[in-house]
Amino acid sequence: MHSPTRARLSRRARARATAEDGFTLIELLVSMVILLIVMASLASVLVSATNSEVDANNRFQAQEQARTGLTFLTRELHCASAVAVINTSGSALAAGTAGAGITETVPSSCATSGGQTLYVTWCTAASTLNTSDWALYRMTSTASQPTCTSSGQVKWVDYLTTSTPFCLPSTTAACSGVLRPASSLPMLHVAMPVNLNGPTSTIATYDVVDDIALRNGARS
Amino acid sequence: MTLVELLIAMIVLTVGILALVAAYSSGYVALNRATRVSSATLVADSQMERFRALQYSAIALNTGCGASCTEDTTYTGDTAYSAATAVTGCSSTTESTCLPTQTKTGPDGKSYRLDTYIEYSCVSGTYVSPTSCGSGNPYPVKRVTLVVRSSILTSPVREQSDFTAFPGS
Repeated sequence: MHSPTRARLSRRARARATAEDGFTLIELLVSMVILLIVMASLASVLVSATNSEVDANNRFQAQEQARTGLTFLTRELHCASAVAVINTSGSALAAGTAGAGITETVPSSCATSGGQTLYVTWCTAASTLNTSDWALYRMTSTASQPTCTSSGQVKWVDYLTTSTPFCLPSTTAACSGVLRPASSLPMLHVAMPVNLNGPTSTIATYDVVDDIALRNGARS
Repeated sequence: MTLVELLIAMIVLTVGILALVAAYSSGYVALNRATRVSSATLVADSQMERFRALQYSAIALNTGCGASCTEDTTYTGDTAYSAATAVTGCSSTTESTCLPTQTKTGPDGKSYRLDTYIEYSCVSGTYVSPTSCGSGNPYPVKRVTLVVRSSILTSPVREQSDFTAFPGS
């Protein structure tokens, strides 16, 4: 290319780059439409991210509730005596059978007794937050073993996908494949699967499982 | 507005949008990692609870339990490992408290590698034998260290507890 031509093109490009003529109405409209499309897609990303955050927060709260409930239950059972697994009508169940609740006696010296001998019942009842889920309640009495009821009781865990989270394994009767080892203290097998969307949800369930040692029990 | 100004404005806007996306992305990664840490902690808690139910004499490892739980370099490379003070003697190949290395499923449904170390440890004095930390010192305790590993964890989750031989335990 000849140098006069190159110089002319360069001048024209510089002139166009520094021109302050403004935009035509068409250019303005096109740019606004493009901006609108970009902003709309960005907004939809933000909305879905916010929804995900709300859902994640709810799930974390439910999971945290399950962990806190398990921690309190573990602390109480380490000190308790006469632990039995019961069904919804309050009858004691055999080893290896999963039940809706447990009964226990908490001596006055225990941290969770409030300074006096306490009869404690933990049991499940239908969740008030999700109709297909279950909630775990703790009820206490200083006079006698309380019966299962959710009314006016303290709820510790919600969104459980099972109504029978408790089971006492023996050396021969397993709870979810867990046997009590020889020369071991008795253990309470606790399985608390938590799912915000109910038992049929395709979203992964958070499954809190533990075998709590009953320290005041007799060795096998 | 010139073309140069327009280009600069677009670059600034792009940088702003990318920063926003990066913030969400790093938030998601942090949340995921926190979930893994709390799940790994529950795996360790659950395993330690099984040790609490055991008799003192039953707290021991099975070091000859086969290929699935053999001590590999990851196991022996941990600071909790010491061949000289390891508590061995369990013969079970199924009881989870006896296995040096095993895989456990966490509450989040993910797999975690659980390494169990049981060592004699002296509160005072120096370890001599399972019943001696030197003259005038109390007996050694059995120190159980649980290490939960996962590829997503930046460092393994550790839990430790000492078990003493009280009469009747």
